[in-house]
Amino acid sequence: MGIVSRAVKNVSRRKIRASLVIIALSISLSIMISIPAGLMANQEATNEMANNLGSTITDTSESINQALSQIDVSMSSRFGGFGFRPDNPPPSSGSPNDQFPNSGRSSSDNSGFPDRFGGFGGGDILGQFGGLSRDTTPMNQSLYADISSIKNVVTVAVTLEVSEGSSSQTITMMGQSFTTQITDYIIKGVPLTSELIYNYNVLPSNIVKGRNLQPSETGVVLLSQNNSAFFGIGVGGIVNILDVDFTVVGIYESTTVADELVLYMSLSDAQSITGNEGYITSLKVYTTSSDVVNSVVEDIRTLHPEVTVTTGQERLNQLEAMQSRYNEVLESTQASMAATQATAIQEIIVVVVATSLIVLFVMLYTVRERTKEIGTLKAIGFSNKTVMSQFILEGLLLSGIAGIVGVVIAIFAAPTFSSLLLPSVSNFGLNTVGMSGSAVTSASVANPVSLSVELILVTLGGAMLLGVLGTLYPAWRAAKIRPAEAMKYE
Amino acid sequence: MSKIVLQIENLTKTYTLGNQQSVNVLTDLNLQVNKGEFIAIMGPSGSGKTTLLNVIGCIDKPTCGKVCLNDIEVTRTPENKLYKLRKNNMGFVFQSFNLLPYLNARENVELPMEGKIASKIERRKRASELLGLVGLSGRENHRPQRLSQGEQQRVAIARALANDPAIILADEPTGNLDSQNKKEIIKLLAHLNLSRDTTIIMVTHDRQVANHTERMLFLKDGKIVTEKEGLHVAKKQNRCPHCNVAIKNSDENCPICKKDLYETDEPFVV
Repeated sequence: MGIVSRAVKNVSRRKIRASLVIIALSISLSIMISIPAGLMANQEATNEMANNLGSTITDTSESINQALSQIDVSMSSRFGGFGFRPDNPPPSSGSPNDQFPNSGRSSSDNSGFPDRFGGFGGGDILGQFGGLSRDTTPMNQSLYADISSIKNVVTVAVTLEVSEGSSSQTITMMGQSFTTQITDYIIKGVPLTSELIYNYNVLPSNIVKGRNLQPSETGVVLLSQNNSAFFGIGVGGIVNILDVDFTVVGIYESTTVADELVLYMSLSDAQSITGNEGYITSLKVYTTSSDVVNSVVEDIRTLHPEVTVTTGQERLNQLEAMQSRYNEVLESTQASMAATQATAIQEIIVVVVATSLIVLFVMLYTVRERTKEIGTLKAIGFSNKTVMSQFILEGLLLSGIAGIVGVVIAIFAAPTFSSLLLPSVSNFGLNTVGMSGSAVTSASVANPVSLSVELILVTLGGAMLLGVLGTLYPAWRAAKIRPAEAMKYE
Repeated sequence: MSKIVLQIENLTKTYTLGNQQSVNVLTDLNLQVNKGEFIAIMGPSGSGKTTLLNVIGCIDKPTCGKVCLNDIEVTRTPENKLYKLRKNNMGFVFQSFNLLPYLNARENVELPMEGKIASKIERRKRASELLGLVGLSGRENHRPQRLSQGEQQRVAIARALANDPAIILADEPTGNLDSQNKKEIIKLLAHLNLSRDTTIIMVTHDRQVANHTERMLFLKDGKIVTEKEGLHVAKKQNRCPHCNVAIKNSDENCPICKKDLYETDEPFVV
């Protein structure tokens, strides 16, 4: 009979008391685990969002800097807010796909937040926002000739982009209902001239099957992987688009969410099958250098005051404004995070004190109850040290079991506990920056707590420590019991 | 001359009460106990019986005087080392048995061997032997609540023997028992004394029980006022205390006068 097995027997001989203590302790401990877990998850989500937005902004400003000599022309009056679209810098695709066709576009146009947000499921939400703001008017193709003739304009790439979809859906956002068409694919017509194809990269560059479109081709189409799956057709097949048959010459891999639904064909094919003969949706103006951009913009505005002209510099300015708004929101988020952390620390202190008190009182009660027994042990020659370590061991055993039970509870109940105990961190403010807030919200819902092994081990260790601390005084009291107590007859 | 196990000289124990008054519980007490003696300490309540037992049992330290246990001067041992003296020299038998309820009989008997006998198997074997000695073979795995009161006190006696003590101190060992069990326990203690030469000091109120010891000490106001021989003197000489004929250790009744050698129900006659 060692001291350990006596401790086990002592704990197990009062089953109801031991169970109640273990339940109380384990709930306290699971709360102790849940609070930091929830806090860490919130911090992780915020940091991840901050990193994502930060790198998006960096990428965007880089691509804009590379394209400062370009000017976008469209009829969209709403497009300005999204002016920093990073998806088509000239070196990779160069296609002036920024403007908006006559039907609502879905997920392809939220290109300000490329697939980094795919993991959050944010793309769809953003896309729906995008779709709502895009009701654009096609422009007459005659603009092309006018703008091409402006001094210092090197070339002009025109694009017709039309979304096609068969079904629609109603979504409710910000208290209002919107009906939006679900886009199946987006027809993008570009002039197939060798200059635009080879010097200005208006077509996608990463072909995975077949070949790219070639100058002056008609009746052929380049599909994205998404299109290929949608139509169920591969390279060499015939695909019927708006009652016209096209031969699929190649399939490309889209690099951004914006490209996923886009199929490429010649401008004239696109105009004829969509009934938009003589119309385009956007122009991208390539100037000789960024120094002449302002004078070219002036000329365009003089010639055609009805169009919206956006320069790279304007986009940069918009980006900077957005960045500062984004920083403000991040700061307020961090401030509320700090407040949450303070609350969490207070809660943990309360739980720690409560836990120690539970152990303390239970062990004190046990010592009092077992006075005679302890007196007997001391009379037959047990030292103070042995008696004390026996009690500490019992406390340790109780808190150890409670710790394990607490971890198990925490694994299941941590989300509930942390949402009950932590005032939720305000992510909503981030909605003002792009639509990124929704990405954070969905992230928080999907991953509300992060239970790390380290956290669990630290809490288990803490539980043991509390057990020892709560038992020290009772054990000392036990050691102080005089052996003469054994003589008393009850 | 037998060996002296306990030598008490001029023992005084004073308790200080709250209001600066002090009470002498034991006053200038002298006592010498030889090895193998079977002694009863008697006296009215408040006469200092328990205090004397506590001092002998190394539980309390005297205010002044000298206590020597097996030539070790207890009075010079610091308070926090007394447990070692208890562990090595004392076996306690209590009025209410004081067995640990969550341990079985054998585990209770093993308790004082902890730290003295390293081998678990050895401890177990010795505990079983001792339980056999007190007549509880086959009941090793019973918990106290499944034993009768007499059996519980037997387990307690086996436990008191477990560390091979110089003295067994029994505090009212029969106080909680009915007459049948009382007789059994007295017989057991007497047999242990006869067969193993165990020194036993017993505090009791019961004159019948005390009469079965060798030497009865009467305490009054902290002093030993009377000393008297008991029936055990005759038994040690293998003769019947009633009719003086030869008897054997194992006899329960005198073969000649047929009197019960361990009768505790008779009215006590001084």
